[in-house]
Amino acid sequence: MGSCMSFVKKWLEKLRTKRRQNNLTPRDVEALRTAFQTRYHNFKLLLSANNRVLHIVAELEAACKGDSPFGMSFIRANCTAISVDVFRMIKSMDELAPGKYGDLHESFMSIQGRIAEILSERRQAGAGPLIIPLHEVDKTRSDEAGNKMANLGEISNRLGIRVPAGFVISSGAYRKFIDHNDLQVEIDRLIQSSPVEEMDQLLSLSAQIQQKIISAEMPDELRKAISIAYAELESEEGQGVKVSLRSSALGEDSVQTSFAGQYRSELNVSADSLISAYKEIAASKYSLQAIAYRLTRGIRDEDIDMCVGCLSMVNAAAGGVIYSRNPFDARDERIFIHSALGLPKTVVDGSIAADLFVVSRDPVGIVEEHIAQKREKFVCYAEEGVCRLEVVGSEGMEPSILGNTALELARIAIRIEDHYGVAQDVEWALDEKGEIVILQCRPLNQRYGFAEREEEAAEVPPCKMIVSGGLTASPGVGVGRVFVVRRESDVLFFNKGAVLVVKQPLPRWAALLGRASALVAEQGSAAVHLANLAREFCVPAIMGLEGATELLENGRLVTVDADGRRICDGEIEQLLENRERPKCLMDGSPVLEILKRVCEHIVPLHLLEPDAPDFKPSACRTFHDISRFCHERAVVEMFSFGKDHRFSEKASKQLVCGIPMQWWILNLDDGFREDVPGKRVNLDNIVSIPMLALWEGIVAVPWEGPPPVDARGFMSILVEAGSSGALDPALPSPYVARNYFMISKNFCSLSSRFGFHFASVEALVGERANENYASFFFKGGAADYGRRVRRARFVGEILDGFEFHAQIREDGVTARIEGYDEEVMKEKLRILGYLLIHTRQIDMVMYNDSSYVQLEHKLMSDISSAILSRSSTVILQKSLDSSGGKYVL
Amino acid sequence: MEPISVLIVDDEVEFLDTLVKRLRKRKLNVNGVTEGPAALEFLKKAQVDIVVLDVKIPGMTGLDVLRQIKKNYGLLEVIMLTGHANMEVAIEGMDMGAFDYLTKPIEIDDLVYKIQDAYKRKKLNERADFPQTLDTLGK
Repeated sequence: MGSCMSFVKKWLEKLRTKRRQNNLTPRDVEALRTAFQTRYHNFKLLLSANNRVLHIVAELEAACKGDSPFGMSFIRANCTAISVDVFRMIKSMDELAPGKYGDLHESFMSIQGRIAEILSERRQAGAGPLIIPLHEVDKTRSDEAGNKMANLGEISNRLGIRVPAGFVISSGAYRKFIDHNDLQVEIDRLIQSSPVEEMDQLLSLSAQIQQKIISAEMPDELRKAISIAYAELESEEGQGVKVSLRSSALGEDSVQTSFAGQYRSELNVSADSLISAYKEIAASKYSLQAIAYRLTRGIRDEDIDMCVGCLSMVNAAAGGVIYSRNPFDARDERIFIHSALGLPKTVVDGSIAADLFVVSRDPVGIVEEHIAQKREKFVCYAEEGVCRLEVVGSEGMEPSILGNTALELARIAIRIEDHYGVAQDVEWALDEKGEIVILQCRPLNQRYGFAEREEEAAEVPPCKMIVSGGLTASPGVGVGRVFVVRRESDVLFFNKGAVLVVKQPLPRWAALLGRASALVAEQGSAAVHLANLAREFCVPAIMGLEGATELLENGRLVTVDADGRRICDGEIEQLLENRERPKCLMDGSPVLEILKRVCEHIVPLHLLEPDAPDFKPSACRTFHDISRFCHERAVVEMFSFGKDHRFSEKASKQLVCGIPMQWWILNLDDGFREDVPGKRVNLDNIVSIPMLALWEGIVAVPWEGPPPVDARGFMSILVEAGSSGALDPALPSPYVARNYFMISKNFCSLSSRFGFHFASVEALVGERANENYASFFFKGGAADYGRRVRRARFVGEILDGFEFHAQIREDGVTARIEGYDEEVMKEKLRILGYLLIHTRQIDMVMYNDSSYVQLEHKLMSDISSAILSRSSTVILQKSLDSSGGKYVL
Repeated sequence: MEPISVLIVDDEVEFLDTLVKRLRKRKLNVNGVTEGPAALEFLKKAQVDIVVLDVKIPGMTGLDVLRQIKKNYGLLEVIMLTGHANMEVAIEGMDMGAFDYLTKPIEIDDLVYKIQDAYKRKKLNERADFPQTLDTLGK
């Protein structure tokens, strides 16, 4: 490429020499034309790259608000794309003006290096042992053992609370397993290549990654370490002891992110199945719900190593969950014990009805008892695995635990809560001897204000109630269309904003919580994992509402009032009035923080004034700066070609027109109907679609001259003209005296100085509607800063009303519209053309915020009568009447 | 006018097959191979305008293939298309003369536009044919 450019330089130099001698041959002219076309092609590539840069900047800015979920793949893809486009612009500049802007490369490399440094930050992979005995684990080792096992070790080793014996297969072990199979690069590639917005793609991604992990080879060192640790457990607990393998991923069970039920657990596992069970749990890091959860909560995939707890299996006579406080009401200090017969898994997956004991704190005593009819229970098989058993006789009607046991459980929960200082969610079991064993504890996610909401909910507004009852599992009110999910494949068709209705609240439905407006389940209680997650996501939820899947048909619009435990037909505004704003789940998340840090090197624009001394490559501090600089200078370089090479055909021509301003036109390609040999071009020889549309707007309504200025306004102009560097007439600028158009049939770029303010318009209007755009930049003015800012805001608001994406910065306004077909784009350009002329010098009369009401009325009236098509005018009028300000067409 | 001739190099067979079919529907003359050496062999035998090249392919890396292509077929344009969003690799590729570096997933229309733009550039470079012009002027 370098040699090609040096050829061009030498060749153009020879041409210059020949031209001085006035002996250009037709072949030379043809060569100049080709050189110009190459230059124009580079200019187009530069413009196209510039548009993508602006698009990415806008997308990143929007993402920084944290309103929608995204992962690291979004950040990496956009950083890569924007660096490629900015680099493309620099290369185009190299070809437009070889050697002239070499410093851009240095600025680019410096900015890219800073971004790469942020993106490559990694949590230090666990360098500790592969296996850690549980009796050596406490909360200080959560980086090696994961929060779940760290908490279990902590309460056992610090509080003496009974937990199962066992060991942890550490984060270092997980890394070794993944690295041994070189899986991370492949996993990253699969994630990066998948559109995560599509549920079917997410499902396929999940299946592919899990399959790769399950079929990966176990390193010998790790296999042996697990085998030795199991043998030691056998020596403590007995020959052939069965174990439960529990996920304990880094970041799981924390205060902000519970990951409740998102990963796999394997119960009653024999020695022979240890390795395969470990792989299944490691793979569950990429279960559909876990991927969706991380995405929604802004958690980096690379920050999560999957530790696994390998614990002696407790064949529970009964088990369940304790909430050390009311999850809906932080002021309610009572303890809530959910209990079922057999293994506690039935309580957390909501598959079987559970008893509820409510216990007062001081003194500890049972204040409420709700005994459910228990028809089934889960127990351990003798060989391996678990099975569901029918409960026969009177056992199902009796309490699953004695009152004393409930009190003892409450006391344990209080101890754990006191130790950690926050409310706890504790999983427990009664072993075969009737002794309490704690299986897990984590911070309880609490919500506030439910009591008041429940009181308000007692007043039922007029509505058609479809069904009522069940239990509030997550407070709030939601509205949407019913979607009943019965099987895994239904997940693929779930629409955003729908009401999720299920029979059993299984953890796997959690993948839909980020999209659901409310959740209704026939089974379960507030203790199930899905309820935990619904509270975390602020999705209103009712559990235990029998018959819901039959009573609520797909597609029906309903209002789910979880506070009042009822579902009403249609949208009940009165109920929705007090609904909580959806929680911004990305807020404070690692992914959002990284995006914000990366954006500091991409988004801010420091190079505003092309005439300012620091408008130079070495002053570029962000990618946005570089793109702005390249765009600005590329225009200048394009104009210079005809002049530099004294090549009349590609020099600018003065437009012959009826308005008293100088307009100069450079035909980039096919913007003229026929070639123009002289120095002037007539308007009827111009065929540029966007320029003609802009021109129609410019000449649509004669300018009445500057608005009348009072003494204050006049003084302001005098003072400003004397002090502003930007208005210094001595500054060299190619725009001071003239207005420049660069055109082709589908493109136009206008750089203009009207009085003291600078404006530019650029537009592409052609058959590819998705590539069409018009951008507008407007800055400066003669009045004081306050008035100029008001004028910028005034112009921005008008454009915003016409669907431009307008941004105001100080006294500048940038506005952009894209993706519309030719007719719409022409109308938008007419509006821009009109505003270019008629917002001149209005900064002088921008005394205060109310000073422009009359002016706005005049402009809108002109636009309506002289600019818009007839159909648009009618819509505009109606829209103005009803919305009082928005002119959406 | 001859259709634009495109060679796609990607080791993901399913992705490759789908892309070949979809681009053929857009009236492009498209072929696909799964390995770097096979791509270089193909170029020896067939006329190709644009190569769409993955970064991680068996046999040799995508950047090595790009280097070979630029060395032996200077006017041929290469678009990198990959699942690896890596800024450093992207810029290395661009610096070696790749026309663009795109990350998957990509809209098929966007890829077609890129191919068209790359093809225009190739044609302009062919027309410019700078060394010959310089020789002529020197005479």
